[in-house]
Amino acid sequence: MVAAGSTTLASTNRSATRVGGEYPVSTEQRDVTDREPFDSQDSEPSRRPLERGGRIAAVTVGGTIAALGLRRRSLGGAIAALAGGWLLYRGLVGGRSEDEPVDTDAASGGGRPDAADASGAVETTRSVTIGASPDEVYERWRDPETMSRLYGGLLDVTARDEDRWNWTASGPLGATVSWDTQVVDDSPGERLRWESHENAPVSNEGQVSFREAPGDRGTKLTFRFRFEPPGGSVGTAVTKRLEIVPESLAAVVLDRFKSLVETGEMPTLERNPSARGAGDLL
Amino acid sequence: MRALCWHGEEDVRVDEVPDPQIVNPHDAIVEITATAICGSDLHLYDGYVPTMREGDVLGHEPMGEVVEVGNAVETLEAGDRVVVPFTISCGSCWFCEEELYSLCDNSNPNAEIAREVMGQSPAGLFGYSHMLGGYAGGQAEYLRVPFADVGPLKVESDLPDEQVLLLSDVFPTGYMAAENAEIEGDDTVAVWGCGPVGQFAIQSAWMLGAGRVVAIDRVPERLAMAREHGDAETIHFEEEDVYDRLMAMTGGRGPDRCIDAVGTEAHGTGLMGLTDKAKQQVNLEADRPHVLRQAIKCCRKGGTLSVPGVYVGHADNVPVGPLMNKALTVNTGQTHVQRYLDPLLETIEDGDIDPSFVVTHREPLERGPEMYETFRDKEDGCVKVVLTP
Repeated sequence: MVAAGSTTLASTNRSATRVGGEYPVSTEQRDVTDREPFDSQDSEPSRRPLERGGRIAAVTVGGTIAALGLRRRSLGGAIAALAGGWLLYRGLVGGRSEDEPVDTDAASGGGRPDAADASGAVETTRSVTIGASPDEVYERWRDPETMSRLYGGLLDVTARDEDRWNWTASGPLGATVSWDTQVVDDSPGERLRWESHENAPVSNEGQVSFREAPGDRGTKLTFRFRFEPPGGSVGTAVTKRLEIVPESLAAVVLDRFKSLVETGEMPTLERNPSARGAGDLL
Repeated sequence: MRALCWHGEEDVRVDEVPDPQIVNPHDAIVEITATAICGSDLHLYDGYVPTMREGDVLGHEPMGEVVEVGNAVETLEAGDRVVVPFTISCGSCWFCEEELYSLCDNSNPNAEIAREVMGQSPAGLFGYSHMLGGYAGGQAEYLRVPFADVGPLKVESDLPDEQVLLLSDVFPTGYMAAENAEIEGDDTVAVWGCGPVGQFAIQSAWMLGAGRVVAIDRVPERLAMAREHGDAETIHFEEEDVYDRLMAMTGGRGPDRCIDAVGTEAHGTGLMGLTDKAKQQVNLEADRPHVLRQAIKCCRKGGTLSVPGVYVGHADNVPVGPLMNKALTVNTGQTHVQRYLDPLLETIEDGDIDPSFVVTHREPLERGPEMYETFRDKEDGCVKVVLTP
């Protein structure tokens, strides 16, 4: 019997292959400072991510092929495993397509996939509608506790002071990389932008902007997150190793933030009981 | 605690799992006194629902006694007797404020997975796959209930568990199905599927003013229940042609309102039915939309199609041309359970309906694995199973 989805779930994050991600993984990631030009692997068709239609087709074909090799009794499980694997892969790791139109004015919950520039940076922009005024939403974002809660399980973020945050990304085998950011634009109720320091091992910048949503529906929050791994191509391996995928990071951060503002808590599977034990964190 | 856990297709076991704990301030812990198996649990049992993980605790039709509450819970306290809706709803988002509780924006911790498939995420549910929340279910000794001020219904009368338990899902689901059918005076309502949801849709159709109710199934005891308890006329779909019979009954007009209380695992007849089954088994088609097709064909022009039956993915050969040209209205969705709890509890307390008429099997939790099989195979006259932990 196929344990549907269980193996795929466990391995999902490990398979977080990014485009252009076929680099050797350095074990000395923290020391990498060279910035090699990004060798554009994006133009290599076989490495291109699937468009939505293509993704569905791939799943269907993949499912059929897998099913042919399986005995009837386990087909349901296989279907669940495949669908589960696909959903979880795309859901948790995120997909990326250069072909999808960029709509920075996306509707609630919408976003655009990560896009890479010549430096190898990945960037994502995503919007969400939150049922509170722009000022309230801004205040909640500025609450010193908010950052660590939003990024929990993804990145460790601690406030050094009101405008300076320390970020740490951790990967397997104890690899970590840490950097500081500084708020560079603070317009209460409108916008907050932060950037990493010039010599930081990771170039990272982000912005949240707040606009009144139409129809008395609160605030449209737009979140932009840009992450440039250290040292170009080798750095991409670091990103891969550290499992930082801005698109899925943005989705989680915005879902959590919306819930926090609207309900005072974030939905969680912490300590969720199952025959696997307690807890089903991302 | 002991809990019924999913281990794969047709593999449900009683396992020892960790006790749930209060995690968020609006959580409550409920000690379960009665918990039903739902027809939609059989889609999990048969392996049709993606994103299940081995070891997941099943169950979304529970009730019991509150044993602990988080520090922000205002309406419940230890000792309260509650029925827990299968939908988890925050009560604060735009959808909850519109009483569209099953579309809650804030209760699914895995919203991004659902979003990839559906565009947006519906509410988190108990024990119903990781795409729909990943929350442990209620076929267990204890259950953690998030947003406990919004979901659980306090039962203060001394009605036995069995009479109020089905407010957790199937009674409101049947009721919303009838409401979604937009029944007007003397309408003829056809209900496909005479499981518990179908039975409650029949009862509710009468409550909402139907002139005539026709029930369609192939299981003799379910058809008998629809006739005897539901005052419905019945069609055995393997013995009669459903379309011909419905046209004969309605003078060629077709039933005004059609309710698909079957969903994804419909048993089709003929070549199309076989094709669906084959395609579903090799993952070319996630759903078998046989009932949907038949209902579209049979429905009166300008009529309404209400779909409480659970579908999970995509379906082939759905006659969208007839749907469009006949100007049918389709209403569907997971049940907004919280919307119906108070009024339906009142109908039970007033003695207008006793929902326990569908319960055919009462067993301890330990017999859960066998009961999944009995229920799935519709053996032993099984219509509804209630388990006690």
